[in-house]
Amino acid sequence: MKRAKTKLEKDISLEKEQSEITFKRFTFNQLVQHWVMIATFMTLVVTGMAVKFPDSWWSPVIINLVGGFEMRTQIHHTAGIVMVILGIYHIIYHVFVDKEPLLERRIWPTLKDTQDFWKTILFYFGKEEQPKYGRYSWKEKFDYWGAFWGMVMLCVTGLIMMFPFVAMTYIPYAYVHLATIIHTDEALLATLFIFIVHWWNVHYSPEVFPMSKAWLTGNLTEGQMMHEHPLEYEEAMRQAHMKDYK
Amino acid sequence: MNTANVLILIFSMAILLILPIQTVAEKDIACYHCHTNVVNEFRNNVHYQMGFTCANCHGGDIDDNNSIISANVMTGDFIGRPTRNNITDVCSKCHSRETSDYKQSIHWEQIQKGHSEAATCTDCHGIHEIRRIKDPKSLTNHQNSPETCAKCHSNKEMMSAWYYGIKTDRLDTYKESFHWKALRNGYNVVATCADCHNNHITKPHTDPTSSTYPDNLPKTCGKDNCHPGAKFDTKIAEGLIHDKESLHTGKLMFNKTGMNPRLASYYLGPFDLAYWIAWFFKILTAGVIGAFVCMVILDFASRFKINRRW
Repeated sequence: MKRAKTKLEKDISLEKEQSEITFKRFTFNQLVQHWVMIATFMTLVVTGMAVKFPDSWWSPVIINLVGGFEMRTQIHHTAGIVMVILGIYHIIYHVFVDKEPLLERRIWPTLKDTQDFWKTILFYFGKEEQPKYGRYSWKEKFDYWGAFWGMVMLCVTGLIMMFPFVAMTYIPYAYVHLATIIHTDEALLATLFIFIVHWWNVHYSPEVFPMSKAWLTGNLTEGQMMHEHPLEYEEAMRQAHMKDYK
Repeated sequence: MNTANVLILIFSMAILLILPIQTVAEKDIACYHCHTNVVNEFRNNVHYQMGFTCANCHGGDIDDNNSIISANVMTGDFIGRPTRNNITDVCSKCHSRETSDYKQSIHWEQIQKGHSEAATCTDCHGIHEIRRIKDPKSLTNHQNSPETCAKCHSNKEMMSAWYYGIKTDRLDTYKESFHWKALRNGYNVVATCADCHNNHITKPHTDPTSSTYPDNLPKTCGKDNCHPGAKFDTKIAEGLIHDKESLHTGKLMFNKTGMNPRLASYYLGPFDLAYWIAWFFKILTAGVIGAFVCMVILDFASRFKINRRW
């Protein structure tokens, strides 16, 4: 069934012809944080899953590729420490350096996100318009806080596993064993989530395939901005106009 | 050519033919001709390579060994089938320290009680094919030691006998550990059975002099090559080293009196933590990934159905 183009689609196709305005999605600082995150995360997954699944055929392949089990452990520990430093840097930067008041950050979950979640499901079944997102959609917030929680868990349990005999002066051996369960299960969850959900959103989805370039340039085109973050777009345009009229 | 010359020729040819056989036979072990398999095994034995012969362990008359058929060897103090006592006696002739260590072990204690299937020297080191520990084919090689112990300790019939009652999942539970995962990938600087339980003085963990007695664990783990600097009050004993999820039932336990204190430390309140945390992650992972995979599929399908976002 043919359908008249909505106003938004007209805008987008119009923009495609003339758009030169780009919107800052991520600062260079944030881009570098994401790049370090990618490098350490992938290293940790490859070197870690070989121990989580020691009976798989690929486990010895990976371990031999990285130079033996001891080297695997060294690489895993190094990458883990770099990731922990990244996490600490991230918190320090965004709590103490970033000027925006902490409680007004747009990354905090709000009531609108739960509404958006239901709207999204209805949208998938064709019963509702796509919800209008601000700077961060509920999916992006889930990604962020999922990674945040995951990093805290993996850091704490990872340090326990790295220094078991230091840990055991404070906690029983039983809890060191629990740390191995939590560490590997949480890592498996994170890996599956990144490889399936996150990569769908930013790589595989026909909307962005082969990838959203925001992770390299930090910019969004006006068309993308209107489509993916309409509320933020409207806000930005309003402010720009206000500036013009001053 | 006269007859004498022909005879000399034939004779010398015969000698030339026999000589190699003779020399082989001399270097060889007399028992070879009957006990071929055993002697072939014995050739890999470190003792053979150092010049020992059958008679050094089995006794008998060495002097009569040079003939091809050497039945005379089975005379005097010859032992055909060494008993458990014979074995330790023979080994102790040279390895006195190892034997005296072994005689303090639970294995020897059980043999003394009449359970002759308990391990003796040859069960771990091999009977005729005793190799050096560093030999990768050796039963006592670090890489092979778990399998060597498991020969008996994973044998349900042997272990479930009423007088032992030892669990047969010791190798399986060891395989859950980081030690095994590292070992199987060729990293040798990790503990196997003998490193914690001691190779010769193997004692049950209930024995206060045992290396695995709860109070001795910090010292055992804190060996110089293993976890040096492990503190005296390290809480290793509070938890099961041979751990496995299957040990945990997930039953709510409101009264933990009389429970093994090592298992009890897994409980927080009435909850068996190892069991419930493993379940928590199973549900969390299945829930989160399942929900989002549905989302991805719906997202993908909606693009065909609604045709709005392209």
